[in-house]
Amino acid sequence: MDFPINAPIGERVRRKETQRFITGTGRYVDDLLPAGTLHVSFVRSSCAHAKIKSIDVEAARSMPGVRAVFTGKEIAQQVKPLRVGGSSVLRPVKLYPLAVEKVRYFGEPLAAVVADNRYLAEDAAEAVQVEYELLPAVIDPEAAMEPSAPPVHEDAGSNIVYKYHFATDGIDKVFQDAEVVIKERIRSHRITACPIEPRAYLAQYNKEEDSLTMWSATANPHSLRGRIADMLNFPEGKIRVIAPDVGGSFGVKIQTYQEELLLPYLSRELSRPIKWCETRVEHMRNGRHGRDQIHYIELALKKDGTMLGIRDKIIADMGSTYTVDHSIQAAALYMTGVYQIQNYAVDAFGISTNKTTHGSLRGIGKADASYILERLVDIAARELKLDPIDIRMKNFIPADAFPYRNATGALYDSGQYHLAMKRTAEIAGYEQLRKEQTELRKKGIYRGIGVALVMEPTSSSRIHATGGYASCRLRVDPSGAATVFSSMGEQGQGHETTIAQIVASQTGIPFDKITVIHGDTLPTPYGFGTGSSRSSVVLMPSAWVAGKLLRDKILGIGGRLLSVAPDRLEIGDGKVFAKENKEKSVAVMEIVRTAYGAIHLLPENMEPGLEVTGYFINPNIDYTPDDKGRMNTFSSYPYAAVVAVVDVDVETGMIKIVRYCTVHDCGNMINPQIVDTQQQGSIMQGIGAALYEELRYSEDGQLMSSTFMDYRLPSVEEVPEMALEHIITPNPFTPLGAKGAGETGMLGPPPALCSAVEDALSPLGVKIRETPLTPDRVLDLIEKAQANRAHG
Amino acid sequence: MAKTITLTVNGQSYSGEAESRTLLTHFLRDTLRLTGTHMGCVVGRCGACTVMWNGRAVKSCMVFAVQADGDEIVTVEGLAQDKRLHPLQEAFWKNDAVECGYCTPGMLMSAYGLLSKGDKPTDEQIKKAISGNLCRCTGYGNIVTAIKEAAANFTK
Repeated sequence: MDFPINAPIGERVRRKETQRFITGTGRYVDDLLPAGTLHVSFVRSSCAHAKIKSIDVEAARSMPGVRAVFTGKEIAQQVKPLRVGGSSVLRPVKLYPLAVEKVRYFGEPLAAVVADNRYLAEDAAEAVQVEYELLPAVIDPEAAMEPSAPPVHEDAGSNIVYKYHFATDGIDKVFQDAEVVIKERIRSHRITACPIEPRAYLAQYNKEEDSLTMWSATANPHSLRGRIADMLNFPEGKIRVIAPDVGGSFGVKIQTYQEELLLPYLSRELSRPIKWCETRVEHMRNGRHGRDQIHYIELALKKDGTMLGIRDKIIADMGSTYTVDHSIQAAALYMTGVYQIQNYAVDAFGISTNKTTHGSLRGIGKADASYILERLVDIAARELKLDPIDIRMKNFIPADAFPYRNATGALYDSGQYHLAMKRTAEIAGYEQLRKEQTELRKKGIYRGIGVALVMEPTSSSRIHATGGYASCRLRVDPSGAATVFSSMGEQGQGHETTIAQIVASQTGIPFDKITVIHGDTLPTPYGFGTGSSRSSVVLMPSAWVAGKLLRDKILGIGGRLLSVAPDRLEIGDGKVFAKENKEKSVAVMEIVRTAYGAIHLLPENMEPGLEVTGYFINPNIDYTPDDKGRMNTFSSYPYAAVVAVVDVDVETGMIKIVRYCTVHDCGNMINPQIVDTQQQGSIMQGIGAALYEELRYSEDGQLMSSTFMDYRLPSVEEVPEMALEHIITPNPFTPLGAKGAGETGMLGPPPALCSAVEDALSPLGVKIRETPLTPDRVLDLIEKAQANRAHG
Repeated sequence: MAKTITLTVNGQSYSGEAESRTLLTHFLRDTLRLTGTHMGCVVGRCGACTVMWNGRAVKSCMVFAVQADGDEIVTVEGLAQDKRLHPLQEAFWKNDAVECGYCTPGMLMSAYGLLSKGDKPTDEQIKKAISGNLCRCTGYGNIVTAIKEAAANFTK
């Protein structure tokens, strides 16, 4: 598709939205306080798995400022459950806003206290007495698969709530005949997104209008509206969901939550605005968790390092499964990653356990896949005594093979993996690093060089889940200023700027005169949540389509006014003019006035006004598999090559990242500044995942890491020296040529840093199959390796 | 037990009722309705609630409102003077040191606390000053660059 890249597309325009954030005038849910607002506090389960024998709320009801107390049983009689899942592969479970007969995870809400302010609500919540009958906690996902394991959901019949099988013909023969087979068990550990703004909701029922307004820190306002309507049996058209400024999401705010569904009910019952702002502890216990897959994976190779086939068994810990979660399939479809491997088989299982529900997290499923595959490739390289870059270069999909269909039918749009890896090695000075490493080892310094090339399928299309399209409505008002109504909300991605850049480039309307409205179901067209890096792949093209429709209309009117064919006209400097004769022109404002007020001058059959809606549909998507089970569910495939250098202190287990070099390809960039900043943040989140962050459960299902004291986010002190470059291989199937840009950064550090640390400690024989690489784990690994050697 | 307290916030005098357990953050946000100061963890780890208290940058979730009775507070709303952005705000904007904006007020106030000390800070001092402020979006690099740039333009 031919796309004219007019300024300001591709420019490092500074962000419109930043102005309100630096002056303290942003508007987040907790900033709103309508008159008469009451506050909620939740009573939460103190155990992972138990029958609720009784809940005594009498003491709480009589405490100061308390307006009402609700239990799960009362709510269940008043609302319809949300049926979660129910596709052919995921068995449906019922979700109520509060636990009804039993609790399924530590921290599950089971009663709600409404009071005059948040302090009083918390006081009263503490006075609620709950009597439990403990059930055995299902914590280990592998044990949970046994038929004798206690069921998390009795209705589901088994703790295996999801199954997926795929195999290419003759896969077993490939393994029988292979010269080398590498077999490993590798686990991606459980983490969570941790936006700095926790969840926050405010519901306001209007009795006179019988209507509901819900302000939510959500990344998915339109879907949330439908769910509230469904649960309360309330007309969808009378519900307005507004996501005002949202303080980060990284996937965690795209899901619908129990508390989120309860607030509209409470507001209707009490006829008062009802607000709840989550504490950090609640967020760690109740916000969706991510990763946590165990892979039993095998790689068949020739002795020269040529990869022949992969067999994998995936066991994914889905927690208490109150969500539709596609993380497992997102991993299972991409275990062959960036390599030319056409022989592949997988059996994937999603398991219910008594942990917090699993859900979206930057790089969902795909991060597990790239981490585990890259780990495996490193292990193979070590086994075959090959350089980790050489084995990759030998097996990468070559640039001229794109669009490339992988074994599962996924269609990769474009890429230059060899070039990206080569360039990253150059930036890092790879050859020199290897020489230095040898020298440093002699001095007792454990330096390691890690390599990875991670690929991130972006912009997914799943029926009724992510929709596969986006839209923008564009209106030029009679004053000549434009408003764009975007179907997707934003949580820091900078859409107000990038959409305005696109519309300005198409229509000639000045960037400063374009306002972007998002996250409000009343004025914006229907659309799905901001996730899977979809914005640049479908939303931005929909703004481009809207801009083009408006441009065509402006040129059409100009053509009629100037008696020149529209295709011979151009827009510039506030005028529409003939390409051959710039003197022949009409002011854009004149066209605007004509469109609204002098419609007898419009071309025949043209509608009055200047308002258009642009839709864009994810390209190359399959909605049903072919006869061999193959299908493509993502539209674009950005990637990044990484070379990471670390020093490991073998006395303390501390890891210092000496340098992190990466070359990233997300196709064309609408605003390279925004991409760079996202990329840096994404890399730091990946470093956190690799080295510091872990959600740990005790054997009886208590979450041991519930605060920022024991779940450690990277601070500025942990930022390594970074070298960040881009290469640009446009996505040939979208008008902007852009790929997703938000997630790839996060995928790099886990495999690259594990690779580097294993390399650093290779003289000691350390093997890394578990993460994060906290100092105590590193010391433990060193100890184990030494013990092995002693016995060995 | 509620008590009436008086604070000077951004040069203006405010009075309001505070219980002994009311956090300064909640008093600023819910009573004075100055919502630029944010709340991300309530245990002093994320720094989104950082304000200036009698000339020092502090995490306002670690202070009871009654402790600040009679004292001087500066919040993010007080940085811009006569509608002119503070050099820190300009530098944050120019260097793209902001994404979702939630940590930004705290980052700005910690940086303001550092620059208020007068000396031109080193990179290490900048990092130390914001080491108690978590940002999940930007990866910190642009924030450090912005503070460095502002330090060059800052006059106390």
